[in-house]
Amino acid sequence: MKTKTLKIAIYSGKIPSTTFIERLIVGLSEQKHCIYLYGLLNFKPNYPNLVSIRGYNSKFSKLYTLVKYTFLLTVFKKGDKKKLDAILKSQSRYKLYNRVKYYPVLWDKPDIFHLQWAKGINEWIWVREFGIKFIVSLRGAHINYSPLANNKLAETYKLLFPKVDHFHAVSKAIAEEAEKYGANAKKIDVIYSGLDVVSSTSKHSETSYSNIKLISVGRSHWKKGYQYALDACKLLKDEGLHFTYTIVGVLKDVELLYQIEDLGLQSNVNLIGPIDYSEVEDYISKADVLILPSVEEGIANVVLEAMASDTLVITTDCGGMPEVIADNQNGFIVPVRNPEAIALAVKQIIKLSNTDLEIIKKAAKRTIVSQHSKQTMINGMVDMYNSTLIKL
Amino acid sequence: MTKASNNKITIGIVLSSIPKYSETFFRNKIKGLQESGFNVILFVEYANNSDLDYKCKVVVAPLVKKSRVSSIFTSSMIFIKGLVLRPKKCLKLFLLNKKDNLSTLQNVKNIILNQFILKEDLDWLHFGYGMLAINRENIAAAMNAKMALSFRGADLYLTPLKHSGCYDRLWKKAIKYHVLSEEMQQTLIENYKINDAEIKVITPAINTEQFRCEASSNRDNKTLKMVTVARLHWKKGLEYTLEALALLKQQDIKFHYTIIGEGDDYERLIFAAHQLKINDNVEFTGKLNQGKVKNHLQNADIYLQYSIQEGFCNALLEAQAMRLLCIASDAEGLQENIINEQTGWIVPKRNPKQFSSKIIEVNNLSTSKKEIIKQKAMLRVKQNFNLEMQKKRFVNFYSH
Repeated sequence: MKTKTLKIAIYSGKIPSTTFIERLIVGLSEQKHCIYLYGLLNFKPNYPNLVSIRGYNSKFSKLYTLVKYTFLLTVFKKGDKKKLDAILKSQSRYKLYNRVKYYPVLWDKPDIFHLQWAKGINEWIWVREFGIKFIVSLRGAHINYSPLANNKLAETYKLLFPKVDHFHAVSKAIAEEAEKYGANAKKIDVIYSGLDVVSSTSKHSETSYSNIKLISVGRSHWKKGYQYALDACKLLKDEGLHFTYTIVGVLKDVELLYQIEDLGLQSNVNLIGPIDYSEVEDYISKADVLILPSVEEGIANVVLEAMASDTLVITTDCGGMPEVIADNQNGFIVPVRNPEAIALAVKQIIKLSNTDLEIIKKAAKRTIVSQHSKQTMINGMVDMYNSTLIKL
Repeated sequence: MTKASNNKITIGIVLSSIPKYSETFFRNKIKGLQESGFNVILFVEYANNSDLDYKCKVVVAPLVKKSRVSSIFTSSMIFIKGLVLRPKKCLKLFLLNKKDNLSTLQNVKNIILNQFILKEDLDWLHFGYGMLAINRENIAAAMNAKMALSFRGADLYLTPLKHSGCYDRLWKKAIKYHVLSEEMQQTLIENYKINDAEIKVITPAINTEQFRCEASSNRDNKTLKMVTVARLHWKKGLEYTLEALALLKQQDIKFHYTIIGEGDDYERLIFAAHQLKINDNVEFTGKLNQGKVKNHLQNADIYLQYSIQEGFCNALLEAQAMRLLCIASDAEGLQENIINEQTGWIVPKRNPKQFSSKIIEVNNLSTSKKEIIKQKAMLRVKQNFNLEMQKKRFVNFYSH
């Protein structure tokens, strides 16, 4: 099948970006599409040849970017430059930093500009004026709660969502949420995050949970709902259960530290600071159960990681999580803000036979292979880009 | 013997900034001490122009410039001036710091940074929060002044969690401690082995004349009106409170809940209200002035204070003074703020089910029972938590 090579800008503001966005960048370039990255360059990852970086990280590199692209645009694309400058001036945004940000994009004129974080929509909607298709990803907080607390943002979404060429939603749930702000359902593709599934033999062939190892992974943020998992730990401890609960990514979170001490959970709970992704994978695969106590998520990638590495999952039913986990089939699902339900699920797991555990783990892996493989994600994205380009 | 020429006892109070109008505790304390014949000097890290008319002497820490060159120059000048004008104090501080194993560089920095305090003559040096005394453990001794330290709640229960061992040097010093509750006193004794005699409990106080229920308003009895005055911070337990209220809604109880205050957790709480489907029943007013707070209290039936961590809580005292039925959590000082079943109700923290049951139970009480509780609470606050009493206790604190 003949596929057209696309020029795609993947914009998250930072280079490198999150694990899943990086996976998308590499996956697309492996399919011979040209990828353009812009924004703050923290360090240069080892990308394939088709990935072009237009990042900057110092005053000097910003100045260099500005001078270079001002020159190129003035000489070769004078009309475009004039047009963009006029747009920026009309919005009182004709600032040096904005030009550093925008000129390289205008020079490259990708087919697609794919904005990863919806909050930046106001800053990038101008790309449409130059024939660049504007695609916005609908992810977590940017849709689920930020506009609730920020009326101005909600108004911006309502004004600009109808103008966006296409949306990528990380879950069906978030797609529905975005519709409240004027996103046209027909213009939303739900494409699940994907990861490489390594076929491995099951790690818990002879399981006996005399001291069950529970884990949660995520940054220190209220939406992660760790307090409910700790409340559940208290219930488990009061019932005399032996367990350890490790939260990776939250070392100095005073709210959690206080709760642990207040509930007398010091000997059961460990907090670990942010660590490298490979180490996170190691922690997940060594745990018996990954708990996702979140009150809000798009689809939590750590859950996918756990399912891929034979670690059982207890998740709340927040956001898109019910699209991944079916209760008692490939994991366990509990209502949000419900410590009793988390504790009950842990006890249920302890009581399961090895055969039942294996059935659930295999089902979890099947979900990942069929719904969350890297290939499925990349194909979904390419289809979305192509269909957006065809639409006039 | 007092240090000041007019034979008054001079108390230096160290705070991070000049207390704003809303920070009644320190304002009342300073005013009370002055009325009782003490000299008060306030040492602050920074001050705004609008603060400069404050009614006691205010000494502001010198501003260290951002540029390295000017910072070195300013620091050197402060250091030299200190050595010339008050060599004994500087030497004593240096030796005491050295005994605490401070490196010479740290020691010199310490002497420079604290010159603004050292230059005054004090009988007492009183640190307003635990954190303010860190790296200043020897200043009072170097000045031949007595050292006092107030713990206010978060600084005793939360700061050591974030900065492990931050008070280790303090615990070894001769300090007179002021805490807000007996619970905090117990924490100092049990966790940090502080001598009971060195700790004084002085609860916060309110202006009971200002917080007086002027008239019983005509309330719409169909809707249960509840209110909380609190910073939007996790320690106030507002998320658990909203979860309890969601349970009320599930039971078709009509209610309106007002949260007065601002803070970092606004996004968290507004999302919770939406997720729990009570956003139409919950109002976030933001920060309000005292008059408006009073209006809200006057129009409410029940005051909720379901905190996770709380030193004592002035807002709860004010609510009781305003004759509201008060339900609080069992967090630290709250158990002393309210006498359970007599002047209000205490519910174990982090338990929305129990909290919502208690709200229903209280709401269903007979009018006469409610009146008894309200009256008792109001009288107790008036008698035990008034400004005059607080003033006497502080005078006593510095006199012994």
